[in-house]
Formats: sequence, C-alpha cells, structure tokens
Amino acid sequence: MIPAMLRVMTLSLLRDRGALAMAFLLPPVIFVIFAAIFSGVGGDAMELRVVLGIERNSPAAERLTQAMRDEPSLRFLPETLESADAVAQAVNRGAADVGLVVTGDLADTTTPPITVLVDPGKVMAGAILSGQVQRVLAKHLPDLSLARTLPAVESLVGGWTPEQSARLTAAMEQMAAANADQPPALVQTSFVGPQGGSGGTVTYYAGAVAILFLLFSAMQSAATLIEERHSGILDRIAIGPAGTDVVVIGKWIFLTVQGMVQVALIFLVAALVYGVDVLSHSWLWFLTSLAAAATASGLGLAVASICTSRQQAQTISTFVVLVCSAIGGSMVPRFMMPPWLQDAGWYTPNAWAIEAYHGVLWRGEGLLDLLPELGWLWACALAATALALIVSRKRLRM
Amino acid sequence: MNQPPDALLVSGLRVGYGGREVLKNLDLRVRAGEIYGLLGPNGAGKTTLIRSICGRVRPLGGTISIAGQPVSRKSLRRIGLVPQEIALYPHLTIGENLEVLGRLSGLSRDATRTAMGWATKAANLGNHLHSRVDILSGGWKRRANIAAAILHRPALLILDEPTVGVDVDARNALHDVILQLSHAGMGVLLTTHDLDQAETLCSSVGFLRSGTVAPQGEPRQLIETAFGTQKEIILELRQPPTEPQANTLLKSGFTPSNANLTWIMLGNASQNSAAELGAALDRAGMAVREIRFREPGLDSLFVRLSGKANQSVMEPAA
Repeated sequence: MIPAMLRVMTLSLLRDRGALAMAFLLPPVIFVIFAAIFSGVGGDAMELRVVLGIERNSPAAERLTQAMRDEPSLRFLPETLESADAVAQAVNRGAADVGLVVTGDLADTTTPPITVLVDPGKVMAGAILSGQVQRVLAKHLPDLSLARTLPAVESLVGGWTPEQSARLTAAMEQMAAANADQPPALVQTSFVGPQGGSGGTVTYYAGAVAILFLLFSAMQSAATLIEERHSGILDRIAIGPAGTDVVVIGKWIFLTVQGMVQVALIFLVAALVYGVDVLSHSWLWFLTSLAAAATASGLGLAVASICTSRQQAQTISTFVVLVCSAIGGSMVPRFMMPPWLQDAGWYTPNAWAIEAYHGVLWRGEGLLDLLPELGWLWACALAATALALIVSRKRLRM
Repeated sequence: MNQPPDALLVSGLRVGYGGREVLKNLDLRVRAGEIYGLLGPNGAGKTTLIRSICGRVRPLGGTISIAGQPVSRKSLRRIGLVPQEIALYPHLTIGENLEVLGRLSGLSRDATRTAMGWATKAANLGNHLHSRVDILSGGWKRRANIAAAILHRPALLILDEPTVGVDVDARNALHDVILQLSHAGMGVLLTTHDLDQAETLCSSVGFLRSGTVAPQGEPRQLIETAFGTQKEIILELRQPPTEPQANTLLKSGFTPSNANLTWIMLGNASQNSAAELGAALDRAGMAVREIRFREPGLDSLFVRLSGKANQSVMEPAA
C-alpha cells in the first residue's frame, strides 16, 4: 500500500510545475546566489568600490594612493576628489561603498592623517578598507611606518645623536627608493583545510542552502496531508486496512527521497561550478543527506498534522523554517553570532546538518566523528514522524 | 434461500461529546439492496452518525453492525464511503485514482484491475478514465467519487450529499448509478438535503431530529400518515401583502415563504374552493397570480416536522 501512496505523490509532483520548480530548480539557483555572495567575503572577489580624496598632497600621499589603486581587491572610482565633504557626498549617494581621504601630512604623528568615511549601513566595508590601508602602508611604504614610530622611540631613548639621525634618514630614503630588505612581517595569515579547489565558505553554504530547502519543500509538500484530510481522502482511506499510518509513512518516504534529489542537485552544482569534492566523500555525504532529508520530512509532516488548515500550516512552517535557518546558520555563519544564539542554534536541524556536511566535505571527517550529528538528526526525524503518526490517528477521532 | 444480513443495523445508539448527548437511543436499519435516505437539518447529528458507523467515534451505548458484524477493522472493510467533497487526487486521472485507492483499500494489483472494470461500468464513467480529475466537470467528478468507493464491493455504501453542486442531467445520471448499485445488492445510506431526490430515489427515509431517527419508513407511507387525503393549497401573489392582509392569511391557516409572495395551506381542496378563495382574495385587495393544489411531499413533511421541532424548543421558554 505504501507504493500506492508513493505513486500518488510522484504523479502529483510531476504534474504540478510550480511544485516541481520549487523542489528542484530553486534550490540550486539559490545556492549559486549564496555561494557567489559569500565566497567573496573572505577573499578578493568582493571588490569594494572606493572613492579617493586628497586634501593635502605630498609625495608620500601620492605613493600611498598609487599603491592603493594597484590593490586588486579594491575598485577605485577614476577621479580623485579634493575634499572630505565631496568624498562624503559620493559615499552618501551610493556612488561608492566607502571613502578614503588623505586629510593631513602623512608624517604628522599628532593627528590621524587618513580618514575612512563609512556608510553606517556598510560598516564592514570601512573595516575592510582600514585593514587594507594598514597592509599597504606596511608593505609598500615601510619608510612611512618607520618615520611615524621614530618620534615616539626618540622621546623614550632621550634623543638621537646627529650621526644616528643621519643613518636613520639614509635608511628611510633607501627603503622608500628600493622598497626592499624588509624584515619579515609580524603576522602572517595562512588557510587551514584543503588548499585549492573550492573555498570553505562555498562548502559551508552548500550544506546551509541544502537544509534550508529541505525544510522549505518538505513543509510545502507535507501540507498535502491537510488537503487530503479536508477533501475526505483520509476518511476514505481510514476505513480501509491502510489507515492513516500508510499515508503518513508513505509521504515520509517520498519526501525523504525528494529531499535527496534536491540535495544532490545543489551539490552537483557545487561540484561542477565551485569544485566542491563530493565524489571522494560520497558515502558519508549520502548518509548525511539521508539523515537531513528524513529530519526535514518528519518535521514537515508533524507541522502538517498539527495544523488545521493549509494557510495555518504555511504561516507556521514559514516561521519555523526562517527561525531555524536564521539561528541554525543557514543564512549567516553561526560563529558570527553571540554565544547565547550559537547555543540556541544546536536546537535546530540546520546547525547539525551544516556541521555534518562541513565535517564530511571540508574537514574530511569519518563516520565516527559524524555520529553525534547523524544521531541528533535521526532522533529528530523519528520523533517528528512519530508525532505526525500519533496526531494523524487522533485527528480521525476528533 | 438465506436472506443476506442487513447492510447496516444500528440499535439504541448513544453518542455524546463533552457531556452532551448528540445521538439518543438511535435505531436505523438499511437492508441489503435498499436505498435509505437520512434527512435532517444541519447540526442534527448526521455526520456524527456516519462517523460512528465508520468507527471514528466511540459510542456511549448501543450497537452497530455492518453486514451482520459488529464494528471492527475487518467489518469496516465492508463499507464504501463517498464523502461530500471530491475525495480524489486532483492531479491524477480517474484511472490512476481508482488504481491507487483500490490498492489502499486492500486489493491486490490484479484484483484492483478487475474491480476497476466493474466500478467504471457501474458508475458509467465511459471514456473518462484517462481524464485528470481537476479538469472534469462536477458530474463526472461525482461519478468518479462513487466509483472509488465501490472498488472493493462493499456491503454498505455511504453517500454524503452525493449530488451537491451538479446540474439536473448529472443528478439524474447519478441517480441511475445509485439505483444500479442497490440492484447489485448494496445497501445504500444516503444523506441529503434534496427532498425530491430522497422521495424519488429512496425506498426508505428517516428524519434525524433531536438525536433520534423518527419518523422513518417508506416515503409515500410517511406522507400519507402525516397528511391523509389533504392537499397543499399554494397561493402565488403578484406583490407582498400589506400587514393587515398578511394577518388575514395567517389567521386563515396559510404559512408564508418566498419573501411573502407564496403562501401554503393544507386542506381538503377542490376546484370550487379555489374559485371561492380567489374571489375572497380579490375582495381583500390581493392581486393573485396563481392558485394551485399539490400532493404533499417529503418537503411538506420536513417543514411540518421542523416546525414542531421549533415549537418544542420554544415551548419551555414561553
């Protein structure tokens, strides 16, 4: 009898083009959009638009602006403005994401000679540009950095002798001219995990979008349970030997399989477009996807069995999916959240599914490492499906 | 030759919700091959009775037997239920619906295919097996709705308002289908608000009021018992009467309907009395379009019973 229910679900899905697109087309498209957005945040693809202003010109200022313009991660507007006000206006009207103004003498150690003008809606852009300025100063204008620290050192050591002053001046000129023989930087950044191929962010978002859409489409498809209740199909089936259990279990199996296909499409795009290595972890990927799809299906059926109308189910499921996705890390990585919210995230299937996918595909974890995530997901799947079975049975007696 | 057991036998059924008894010592019998019309106003308890028969509500007392067996998972399989809504999958064709619902009713694949042929013929579905349900007209949907309930050849077919929302031709076609099924030996329990349908189609009817089915019996017999040789005198006015005119009609025994344009009274009428009545109305200044006489029907009985029910509700408060 369960195959009969699977047949109903398959034919209904194939003949409902809207549901078909929602199930299989939208997830890869949304993944590509998310991946395109977030793969740039940590790398060079973000390309902030920067407007430059110089109120007080000098050879050092020219060297700095040239070095900044050579930075591939920044897109400078072609013209250089002459006042901080003009730069502020350009940022305000959205012509640039952030502004950079040389307001004073770069050798002046009493006031900051460079100002970054930030749109309050793009605070991150200001932080990124400030960091880039510091990096360019250290890398391309080491003489300037040295000149800005010398007065402080001079006051500490009680002044330079004429001979020392001459040697320092010569050294700074040589650094400015040759830009060579620099000591190694104090801090160096290197990436952990697999080198080359896809970024960790893309792998993260493949999992994040997968569980988001598993939940969305499971909730959508499970609502057919409500239609069957209202149209009398469940009444008709309930007097036969099948009862409502066959309907609920049949739908759970179908939605799990549908979810597997959805997730496969998302990771197919991730593998083809972003080089995420799914093939060499295919077995564990399969177990993770199965657990995630079963959980989403169970939750969808639980919501559908509890709700009395399709409209109510739509409202509640949208609320549940959005909240779970927001705090579970499907929209913003959880490490960026306050600790209490990170802890709350562990009560959502999103956090466990994303952890499992990231563990398999990025950290290369084995089955033993994955047991907590898989265990939580399966416990949630079985509890939710059992709830759907019990409530569906009880509804017949109401 | 052994008589087949009654398709449905309900004795002394009591069902209640939250301390309130909805059905009180209800008795009802549907013989094999009989079409029984269950009538009653909304909220009388028809749905509760059907749910009790289908094992969905635990009775407080009394017994229900289906084809001679008490309600159990096994005996419930002798019921075919046709809900008021179109209980079919809209994206599937009629044939696919029958296949799927046949399998869900416990038939094997081969038995389902055999049953489909029979049910399709019984419901006169013709060449519509390959049509999707969501594009069919109301009449064809209703036929398919019935076909899906008879695949397992139930002893008792329960039809809940089977002709709601269909035109006259489709309604007559559905009547033929229901009659054919009863001739095939199925007991049919039909709930309806269509009293003409009940009178022409049902061999027995019962009025469900105040938690019991009374009166019940053959439609013509019930009408004769209630009205004897009396006829209905129906008065069609050209315009609503003034208040004094309306009071006169009420005092004469007429009851109004159709926005006070139609007035009905029971009495022993003749052509002479019609002429006298017409003259009297003329004198009272009422413009009459038509005076006619009619045999009372189930609708007349329904109105009378509903009036009595309302009176009995009103009396304690008066």
